[in-house]
Amino acid sequence: MSQDLIIGIAGAGGDGVVSAGESLITAAALEGYHCIMTKSFGSQIRGGEASCRLRLAVQPVLNPNGPLDVAVALNWEDFRRFGAELPVAATTIVIYEASTGVAPDNLPLQGVKPAMVYRVPITEMAVKHAGADKAKNIVIAGLLAGWFGIGRESMLTGIRKKFSKKGAAVVEGNVRAFQAGIDFAAANPLKEDRKLAAPQAGRETKLLTDGNDMCAAAAIFAGCTFFGGYPITPSTEIMQYLDREIWKYGGTVLQAEDEIAGIGAVVGASFAGKKAMTATSGPGMSLKTEMLGLASIAELPLVCVNVQRGGPSTGMPTKAEQSDLFQAAFSGHGDCLRPVLAPTSVGDVFSTTVEAFNLAEHYQTPVIVLSDQEIAQRKETVDPIDTSKFELIERRRPTEAELANYSRFKLTESGISPISHPGMAGGNYLAAGIEHNEVGRPTASGEMHARMNEKRFKKFNPLKNRRDLFTVEGDPNAPIAMVSWGSVAGVAREALRLAQAEGLQVKLLVPKLLYPVAEPIYQDFFASVQRGLFIEQSHQAQLYRVVRMHVDFPATVKAFAKSGSNPILPTEVLARLRELVVSIQGSQHQPEPLVD
Amino acid sequence: MTTPETVAKPIALAKFQAGDFKSDLKPIWCPGCGDFGVVTAITRALAAIGRPPHEIAFVSGIGCSSRIPGYTTAYGFNTVHGRSLPIAQGIKLANPELLVLVASGDGDGFSIGGGHVAHVVRRNMDLTYIVMDNQIYGLTKGQLSPTSSRGRKTVTSSFGSLEEPVNPLLYVMGYGANYVAQGTPADMNQLAKIIEEGIRYPGFAFINVQSPCVTYGLEEQQLRAHKTNMQNLQTSGHDTSDRAKATEIAREYGHKLYTGVLYRNPNPPPTYGQGVMERQEAAKAHAVSRSEILNRFKPAG
Repeated sequence: MSQDLIIGIAGAGGDGVVSAGESLITAAALEGYHCIMTKSFGSQIRGGEASCRLRLAVQPVLNPNGPLDVAVALNWEDFRRFGAELPVAATTIVIYEASTGVAPDNLPLQGVKPAMVYRVPITEMAVKHAGADKAKNIVIAGLLAGWFGIGRESMLTGIRKKFSKKGAAVVEGNVRAFQAGIDFAAANPLKEDRKLAAPQAGRETKLLTDGNDMCAAAAIFAGCTFFGGYPITPSTEIMQYLDREIWKYGGTVLQAEDEIAGIGAVVGASFAGKKAMTATSGPGMSLKTEMLGLASIAELPLVCVNVQRGGPSTGMPTKAEQSDLFQAAFSGHGDCLRPVLAPTSVGDVFSTTVEAFNLAEHYQTPVIVLSDQEIAQRKETVDPIDTSKFELIERRRPTEAELANYSRFKLTESGISPISHPGMAGGNYLAAGIEHNEVGRPTASGEMHARMNEKRFKKFNPLKNRRDLFTVEGDPNAPIAMVSWGSVAGVAREALRLAQAEGLQVKLLVPKLLYPVAEPIYQDFFASVQRGLFIEQSHQAQLYRVVRMHVDFPATVKAFAKSGSNPILPTEVLARLRELVVSIQGSQHQPEPLVD
Repeated sequence: MTTPETVAKPIALAKFQAGDFKSDLKPIWCPGCGDFGVVTAITRALAAIGRPPHEIAFVSGIGCSSRIPGYTTAYGFNTVHGRSLPIAQGIKLANPELLVLVASGDGDGFSIGGGHVAHVVRRNMDLTYIVMDNQIYGLTKGQLSPTSSRGRKTVTSSFGSLEEPVNPLLYVMGYGANYVAQGTPADMNQLAKIIEEGIRYPGFAFINVQSPCVTYGLEEQQLRAHKTNMQNLQTSGHDTSDRAKATEIAREYGHKLYTGVLYRNPNPPPTYGQGVMERQEAAKAHAVSRSEILNRFKPAG
C-alpha cells in the first residue's frame, strides 16, 4: 500500500497527457485524497512536449516533491526533456508505450535501472477499443486506476460526461479503452502492492483549483470591482477568470494597451472609490513601478499581484522563482513603504488576497501579493474555506462633519486620513504625484515633505505586530530554525515533519507579511536559535537579506537557496538540518548572544 | 457623458458661474501664458454644462498644462508624466456617472504618453481630452517637443530638429475619433464653445488648443499671430460631418491655423462605457452570492 503517490506523465503535445492528469486529480479529489498537480510544457505554443506531475496522498500534501513513484512515458524523447522535473529513481515504477521499441531492461534513463518496468501497447489499445489513438490518455487513466486503485467509478462518470456531446459510440469507445487499461493492470499485477491507501476522512467535499483562479475568486469575494491588466505569463489566468466573472458583480475588466495603462486604470478606479486590482509578472512589475509610487504618495488603495517567474528580464516565464522580493519591497524612487504579502499554497491564496485588499483599504496604499508560478498554476485540493470568518475592511470615508472642512491628507495620530472620492459633495480635493499639504495643495516645503513622509510611514507601524500574518511551527524553544515563504514554505513544512519524526528539535517561521519586516516577531523567533536556514528559491536568498537588514539574528543562521526551476526537496532540507544538529554539538564555544 | 441619462443631466443652465469652477490656487504659469485662457475657457464650458464640481473628475499628467486640475474646484488628479489617459479611463469605468476631463500638453500627450492615445480613441471612451499644444517643453525650460517643427533650434536641438513633428489632429482622426476640434485662447468664445461641445459629445472628444508659450515659444506662435492667422471653420461654412474634408484640414496642422470643430460624427457610435453597462446588466442575473463564490471550485462528480 502507498500513503503518498507521485505520478509523472509525459508525451508529445496533443497526447492528452494533461487531460489524463486532470481526470485523475478530479477523481482522487472526489474520493477525498489530498492532491497537487503541476503541469509543464515545452516553450512551443502548440505541439512540443507536455507533462504533468500528480501527488496524491492520504495526508495533506504541501509540495509536489521529488522523485517519481510512477513514471508514464508515451515517448522517451519527450519524457527526457523534462529532466529534473520528472526524476526517475530505482524504485520508480515505469510504464511506457510499447511502440517506442525500447526494451524494458534498456530504458534510456541515466544512472538508474528501475526494478519495475511495464511495457504497454497504449496506442494499440486506444485504437483497438476507442477506434482512435486520441484515446491514449484514457488507456493511461485506466492503467493507473487499475494498478493504484485511484477513482475508478469517478473516472468512468467523468469519461461519460466529457464525451457525452460526441455521441454514444464515442462514449462507449472511451469506456472500453478505460476498461482495457484496468484489465491490462489486472492481468499484469505489480510485483508489490502500491495501491493508494483509503482516504482518511472518506468522501469529503474539497475544493480543487489553482492559485490564479483562487486569487481571482478571492478578489471578487473581497469586493473588487475593477481589474486592469495586460496578458503576461504566468499571471494571465487571473484576468481571464475575472473577465468571465466580474461583470456579474457590477465590475469591469480592462485589458489595457500595456502594463502601465493596466495599473493606471486601477489607480483611477481606486481614486473613483472602487476596490481595484491588477496582476502581472516580473517584466510587467518593472513597468508598473512608477504607478505604485503614485498610489503611495496619493495614498490610494490597490492590490498588485506579481506571479513571480524566473528573471531578470524575460528570464524563465514558465518557471517559478522567488526573486522579486527586493523589487516588491524597494522598487521605485523616493522614500516609500508598501506592504508585501505572499501565499504559501493554493488554499492560502484566498486569505492572502483578501488580506491584501483589507490592508490596501485600511492603510490607503498599494499592496503587493507575491505569488509564484508554481502556486499560480498548480492544481490543488483545498479544504473547505468558511468565508463567513473573513472580515472585509473598507477605506475610511469622511464623515459629514469632516466634509464641512475637508482635509484629504490630514495629519492624524494614526497617519490614516479620511478619503473621499469624486461624486462625494464637499470632498473635492487635488490628488497628485506631487508632494502636497494636508488639503492636497502642491508644496515644495521641506518641513511639509518631512511630515508627510512621516505620516506615510508611521501608518504602517501596527503591521509589525500582526502575529496572525506569521506562523511558527515545531518546538518553540528549538535551537534550530527554518524560515521559508511562498510555495517553498510547503517544502520546509514537509522537512519539518520529517525532522520531527526523527527527533530533531526544529522550528519553522513562515511569514505571510514579507514587508515591512516585523522586527519584534523575528526577534522573538530567533531568541532560542543557534543555527538556522532561510529556505528560498532565488540566487540571492532575498528574504534572508531583507530580514538581515532589519533584524540582528545570529551569523550562524544561513540561507539555503537555489535559483528558480531547481527543485528544493524536503529530503535535501532534512539533510541540512541534520548537519546543523552535528554543528551545534560540535561547536567549541557558546554562540554569540543576540544583540537587541 | 455616455448614457442617455447622463447626457440629459447637464441641462441646468445658469445654475453655475465660471467662477464656481475656479479654485483660489495661484497658477505657477508665466504671465501671459496661453494656459490662463484655457482654464478660463474650461470653467466657462463647465458652467454652461451645469454639473456641480464634485461630479467632475479632472485628470492630468505632468507639464505646465497638467497643473490645470488644481486651478479648478473639481476633483483633480495631477498624475505622472504621460499617463493621464489610462487613469482617466479607470475613473470613468469605475463611475460612469462622472464627467471626466483630461488635460495634457504636446509632450505629455504625444511623446511620453503618445502610446495611450490610439487606445482611448479606438475604445471610444467617453472622455474629453484637451491638449495644450505649445510645440515646446516649457516646464523643463525649452526643449524640443514632439510637435516642434523640423529644423527648430532649442536647447536640446542646438543645430535644429531632425524630425518631422507629430500631427495631433491627424493622429486622432487616423484612429477614428468622432469629435475633433482645435482652438486658441485668441478666440475665447470659440474655445469655450468647442470644449463645451466636446464635453457634451457622447464619446471620446479631442480638443487641440494652440496655447502659446510666452517664454520659449516663437513669435509666430503667440496670440497676436493667432489673431491674424486663424481661420474659423465655423464661420467659413465647413461641414463638420465630412470626415474626408476634416482629414484634409487636419493635414494643414503646422502650416495653417484652423480653429473650430473639424469633425463631429453626427451618428455617435456606442461608447465603451455603454458596452460595459450592457454586459454588467446581462451578467448580473448569473451572480452567485460572494460568500458562495468558492463553491464553483468543488469538483463535479
